[in-house]
Amino acid sequence: MKEFRFRIIIVLGAIGLALYLLYPTYVDFQNTKDINKILEERKQHLLAANPDLTTSQLEKMLKVVEDSLLSDNPEITKNREKRVKLGLDLQGGMRVVLEVNTSQLLAKIANNPDDTFEEILKEAEEEAVLSDESIVIIVGRKLTERGIRYSRYFGTIRQDDDQILAGLNEDTDDAVTRALEIIRNRVDQYGVSEPSIQRQGSRRIIVELPGVAREEEAKQLLQGTALLEFRLLKEPEYTISVMQKIDESLAKAIGVLDTVTTQIEIGDTLIAEGDTSFVADATLSTEDLSEEEFKKQHPFFTIALLDPQGGSADAYVKGDDKNKLLLMLSRPEVQKVIPNNVEFVFSAKPIGQQDGQDVYIMYLVNNKPELTGGVITDAQANIDPNTTAWIVSMTMNSEGATNWARITGANVGKRIAIMLDGAVFSAPVVRNKITGGRSQIEGMANMEEAKLLEIILKAGALPTPVDILEERIVGPSLGEDSIIKGFRSVVLGYILVVLFMIFYYKRAGTVSAAALVFSVLFILGVLAGFKATLTLPGIAGIILTIGMAVDANVLIFERIREEMATGKTIKASIDSGFARAYSAIFDSNITTFFTGIILYQFGTGPIKGFAITLMIGIGASLFSALVISRLVFDIMTAKGVKVSIG
Amino acid sequence: MRILENLNYDFLGKRKIAYSISITLFLIGLISVIVKGLEFGIDFKGGTEIVLQFDDPVDVGEIRTYVENLGLGSAEVKTFGGETGIMVRTEEQVIPPGIYPKVIENIESAIEKFSPGIERNIIDSTASSVTYEFANSEITNAVIDKLFEAGFQTGHVSKELDNKQMIVRVSISDWIKENLSVKVENNPFIVLKEDIVGPKIGEELKQDAVLAIFFALIVILLYLGFRFKFVFAMGAVAALFHDVLITLGLFAALYGLIPGLNLDIDLTVVAAFLTLIGYSINDTVVNYDRIRENLKIHKTRPLYEIINTSISQTMSRTLITSGTTLITVLVLLIFGGEVLKVFAFTLFFGVIIGTFSSIFVASALVYEYAEKYKKKLEF
Repeated sequence: MKEFRFRIIIVLGAIGLALYLLYPTYVDFQNTKDINKILEERKQHLLAANPDLTTSQLEKMLKVVEDSLLSDNPEITKNREKRVKLGLDLQGGMRVVLEVNTSQLLAKIANNPDDTFEEILKEAEEEAVLSDESIVIIVGRKLTERGIRYSRYFGTIRQDDDQILAGLNEDTDDAVTRALEIIRNRVDQYGVSEPSIQRQGSRRIIVELPGVAREEEAKQLLQGTALLEFRLLKEPEYTISVMQKIDESLAKAIGVLDTVTTQIEIGDTLIAEGDTSFVADATLSTEDLSEEEFKKQHPFFTIALLDPQGGSADAYVKGDDKNKLLLMLSRPEVQKVIPNNVEFVFSAKPIGQQDGQDVYIMYLVNNKPELTGGVITDAQANIDPNTTAWIVSMTMNSEGATNWARITGANVGKRIAIMLDGAVFSAPVVRNKITGGRSQIEGMANMEEAKLLEIILKAGALPTPVDILEERIVGPSLGEDSIIKGFRSVVLGYILVVLFMIFYYKRAGTVSAAALVFSVLFILGVLAGFKATLTLPGIAGIILTIGMAVDANVLIFERIREEMATGKTIKASIDSGFARAYSAIFDSNITTFFTGIILYQFGTGPIKGFAITLMIGIGASLFSALVISRLVFDIMTAKGVKVSIG
Repeated sequence: MRILENLNYDFLGKRKIAYSISITLFLIGLISVIVKGLEFGIDFKGGTEIVLQFDDPVDVGEIRTYVENLGLGSAEVKTFGGETGIMVRTEEQVIPPGIYPKVIENIESAIEKFSPGIERNIIDSTASSVTYEFANSEITNAVIDKLFEAGFQTGHVSKELDNKQMIVRVSISDWIKENLSVKVENNPFIVLKEDIVGPKIGEELKQDAVLAIFFALIVILLYLGFRFKFVFAMGAVAALFHDVLITLGLFAALYGLIPGLNLDIDLTVVAAFLTLIGYSINDTVVNYDRIRENLKIHKTRPLYEIINTSISQTMSRTLITSGTTLITVLVLLIFGGEVLKVFAFTLFFGVIIGTFSSIFVASALVYEYAEKYKKKLEF
């Protein structure tokens, strides 16, 4: 056996690695089943307790239950990140391709556009549909054709045409970046799990939102202009007193119910009314009593943590608790104690992590903005030459500047939140009255943060018009159906092929049957390991691999038979059979592999998934046939087992 | 057990028969393409496609009549999967101006039904959405929820703008859904799939598909030229053209003839064609490999014999691999579900034609070339 030790280790290692990579997928499958069961039970409870809940209220509550299940057990999320990713066609969801509308953008930034300009723009738009040239280039060409200098509409009189053209290209590029950030911000606030927002080419954005049920809301995320606001942050004393009132009223609500009903029932009623402390109660039975007691008496401060030394009223909230908190805040008795000219809002990005979870800040701000982003004319991220720290300078138009001077003058020492679409990006303190419309925002940790704020500030000034070019929605039931059918086909295809192989090649056939199982195992393992996506055509690729993977085995077996027919010993036949089949296997698989690469290059979404499994499948089946099958044969002959090839 | 042991068949002698079969199939395909044309799906044409799954079986004819009355121009209505699935497809991507007022009317009557006489204003309307404003946020929330449950795509405009506005998306798919839910009231449905593809994307996808197939052929040509001889590469690529063109012709010929099978050419079909190219080249290369080997061993034997021997030697492997691949493709065709049906169908014929071409066309072309130019092939 010694001579095989090295190969046995390699084979066992590969199988072990594949199993290791696939284990999270298995665990996640079980977890998802459990979670769905709990959610279904909870749903029935809720509906029984409150028959007139609307679908969206129910959805929100169930989302909170799910959030807290996930936050109670971080392992769930960990496994979920490592499982085999399913494409939108298998898990349901929405894929949208957006394109920044350059001609609308040009119309917006043009100085004094007249009829000629409108005409040129219209012509350019029509031409752009059929041409690969960008609208900027076409408009430029048309201006040149008519002998109009670019500076008539764009840039300044001192710039020459090339400079202006470069400037315009930069503007469109910025516009795409802005659109991307705006969409990312909204998707983050909306709370889609595992969203993918990518830039494609120069003007396109591809958004993939798995498992989105309300497509309209999702679509809202993608369109419409962004709302940039400057809102006054409430003083710490004021905020804390509001928070205490909320805490008290929540504690009272829970206390009253606690005395009359059992825990589960409280939970459901409370959730139905908008509270969620039940989930924590029911699932966290391991917590000790004093903590339990604190939770009961201070349901609000349990999830919105204040820094006692901080001197501010910024509350720290874990990402998974955001929905819970929002639901708490929407309860009628809580609404009663919150003054109606203020509201709680969250920071757009997590400010750090705790226990592996993102932590956000919750602020109390005025309902009404002091100023909106339309007044901003420019924003620039820079390095402060004195302190070498990153700063963002912001310029306003004269109307904005006048208001800004008044607002900052009246609020020196207070904080103003810069909010985009309802999420806070920065909450700087006003140092002094700012006149002249030029402000500086300090306190950015690094370049990324400064650049992001620059983009956000510009978003209010320069709305980016986007068009939807392509939209694909797959309902969850079709996805599930596809998985079941795909899985069934894999199993059935495998059984039939294996039956044939054993019938035709006898014992050698069983070897190939085992090799085939490992091929499929390797494909899935590699998919999980590389975080590649499994799509429906991808499953087709696996099934096809089963059919084609036997090819390598067939080539080898046939060759061994031929060698045996010439009178060689079994061992010699196996050796030369493998050796001779090698070139055919190699050349034929390489060419197929090439078509896989091309398919990957030119395909979109699901087709890419097919190409990936096809390529991995070729690698996996070659390994199974050339290494695993070979090893088994060698061991069998060494042990004197009679190898029968039909 | 073994089949075709010690086979030695004169494959090249039958090549003329094979050529005539190929040419006949090709001509049938060509005539079908000319007469019936190739039907492209919305992936390439642009348009809207929506697939609905009803609770109980529905009559396609009935649904077709409803959809035709919606004013969407030439909408296609087909079954999807079984008796309960319906697919509606149109080349329109947004609501045509002609029926826009009707769409608004529909929304209005839904609002009236839930909250009669409620105060409201339309503050914005675009080709794809209408925005309403109500007196306060409670009313707005209630209307949004109720209309959403009634099948309208409603949503908040922006949670920050005092929350008084409701946006209702108006799209072809929504228009179809809204109307069908009223017309087929006692048989509710869910949406399985919804695709909207703009004409620009369609054009690009078409370009990409053609490029993909073109590049695949080029790469194969180069690789085989490098590993074998250029004439072999030419023979292989000619055989691939043969496979792709005949299968494409088959699509045109069979279009609409097989109930329950939708033979529109879309992205999945293109993927199937590329897979077919991959499969067929696999088969051809195995034959070539044997010819190469035999040419090395028997330097003096005539090419004619060598090719015949080589094909005979690999014959059992060729049939077994085609067989196992066909088994899995058939499983996919029968059990793989609606989305993969066309894929499996394409491959089913592709594998048969690909096997045929690697036996009778690819090697035969190499022989024809060697004969014509009196070339001696050596490795």
